[in-house]
Amino acid sequence: MWEQVDAILRRAMIRTAENVANFLPGIVGLMLILLVAVVVAVVSRRLVLRALLGMHFDQRAERWSLGAPGDWQAAGGLSALIARVVMWAILVMGLLAGFSALDATLPEAFARTIFRYIPNLLAALAILVLGTMLSRFLARSVLIGAVNLNWPYAHLWSTGVRWLVLIVSWVMALEHLEIGRRTLPLAFGILFGGVVFAAALAVGLGFKDVVSRSIERKWRDNRESADKLSHV
Amino acid sequence: MADVVVGLTTSDHAGDAGQLAKAVRAAFDRQPESIRWHLLVANLVPDATAVDSVRAELGTSAEVSAVNVGHPAHHSLVMPYHGLPGRARAVHAIFAEARARQAAACLVLDARSATGSPETIARLLEPLRTRAVQFVAPAYPRHPFNGALVHAIVYPLFRALYGARLRWPIGTDYSASADFMDAVLPHPIWDSERGQLGIDLWLCTTAVCGGFRVGEALVERREFFERHELSLSTALAQIVGWLFEDMGTRAAVWQRIRGSTDVVRVGEALRLPPAPKIDPAELVESFRRGHRELQEVWAEVLPPLATLQWRRLASAPFETFRVEDALWARTLYDFAMGHRLRVIARDHLLRSLVPLYLAWLASFVRETRHAPTEEGERRIEQLCLVFETEKPYLISQWRWPERFKPVKFRR
Repeated sequence: MWEQVDAILRRAMIRTAENVANFLPGIVGLMLILLVAVVVAVVSRRLVLRALLGMHFDQRAERWSLGAPGDWQAAGGLSALIARVVMWAILVMGLLAGFSALDATLPEAFARTIFRYIPNLLAALAILVLGTMLSRFLARSVLIGAVNLNWPYAHLWSTGVRWLVLIVSWVMALEHLEIGRRTLPLAFGILFGGVVFAAALAVGLGFKDVVSRSIERKWRDNRESADKLSHV
Repeated sequence: MADVVVGLTTSDHAGDAGQLAKAVRAAFDRQPESIRWHLLVANLVPDATAVDSVRAELGTSAEVSAVNVGHPAHHSLVMPYHGLPGRARAVHAIFAEARARQAAACLVLDARSATGSPETIARLLEPLRTRAVQFVAPAYPRHPFNGALVHAIVYPLFRALYGARLRWPIGTDYSASADFMDAVLPHPIWDSERGQLGIDLWLCTTAVCGGFRVGEALVERREFFERHELSLSTALAQIVGWLFEDMGTRAAVWQRIRGSTDVVRVGEALRLPPAPKIDPAELVESFRRGHRELQEVWAEVLPPLATLQWRRLASAPFETFRVEDALWARTLYDFAMGHRLRVIARDHLLRSLVPLYLAWLASFVRETRHAPTEEGERRIEQLCLVFETEKPYLISQWRWPERFKPVKFRR
């Protein structure tokens, strides 16, 4: 009986040793990949940061309506934030590549899913960046236009437009990320429809007098065109 | 063959074209010697009514021809402040016709603004006839409250930059000699989109910077209001944007010029029309609203001192509301730098200038409304001198852009 137990134990030991021997190169591979990824990530972070600071990216980003330098102060500046994002992206990719070196089914499937997800992630990021730029540009256009038209609450109009564009771009980005694919557009549709309806009611009721006064003024201006001031 | 080609730019002003043609004939009839002339009607819309009314007025007493000036569809998308899309092509057609007929001079008249006064038309011709000058710009006798954009920005800036005291550099009635036309005709600007907006200003600037002898004639002008008249902010963005862009291309010229000189002037001062109704308190209120809302935008352009001065002004009572000439001149120079360095979108930058311009206008009207009209002219002259005095500030920033430090970049 002891011989049988001994044989079983030996076989178990051998299997374990074989398994460890099979798994160990994978672990070494993972460690090596991680080490390389860390080195590449740190070097890339420094290179990206230096390049962005050299081209005064923070100031340029402000001109492209991507936020004032102060807006990114908590993150140490937009350049530092981008450099950190690049570093972490390389580290995560290194980790995922390392998982595939382990030759384990579950981590590999996970890595494959993540890699398949990257185009969606990039598209969502592009939508967010463009949305932010567009929202700031349109907000400023509305602000200046409203001031020049002597509209009251110019800042309110401008903020409204900015948030509208931002919300639309966030919803689009989340849709690309396949998060809340049904709920978000539906919720957004209901919210947006409600806002438009409320605004239409408010404008219709509140601006009734303004519109009639405006038409009256226009009619009077046409009659008195001889007295009209010409700036050019 | 003709000695002079007269070009009428028209769109849908058939009646005006006929009246004007009659005045042109009267102007030529009064010349001491006989001049052969040819009249070209340059239609900006394909329409034969203008040329028909001209032929009906002139009969066989003058040669008349017409040209329909087409323009690409995208040129119509942006309505120019003068209300005539394709104007540059019309002026080009007139100049080209003049050179084809070997004319020694050419007279361009805008059928909307030019009056049917033979005396004033003759004034545009006289300096060319005596060969005293090669380009004659108009000087419209308008009340200082009308055309305030020219009094506040165009004239002082043009004069300080290029050193010529041309009162109305964006006028649409002028005359040119053969050598001037030969010099400008090959330029690519005529077909460009930019050219359709500011060809009149470009011709004036080219005449002054190109070393041509430039004169000015006092020309009566009709106040007209187009159906499609643009908003103030669009007109300001177009005109000031053109001036600023032109500054960029001629920086080597204007940086060498100091002060300004008079140009040959023809005609005696005409009676000024009455003042238009204008309420300075309303303008001050528009400025205050602009100041409340646009400080964030102005911080991208204005240095701390100017920002502080504008802030003080916004809280000043109406009775003491006054925009100092030096503040206005420096503000415009700062906006020119902001435009050059593209600190924000150029259109935003230019349109955000409107409340500041209204503040200047309010201050100008408040100060001069109860004074004789000459007081308004004196104030404009004073403003121009300050623009000239402050020009080194612009030159210094233009040469060393790192000295341009608006509030935003000082954090």
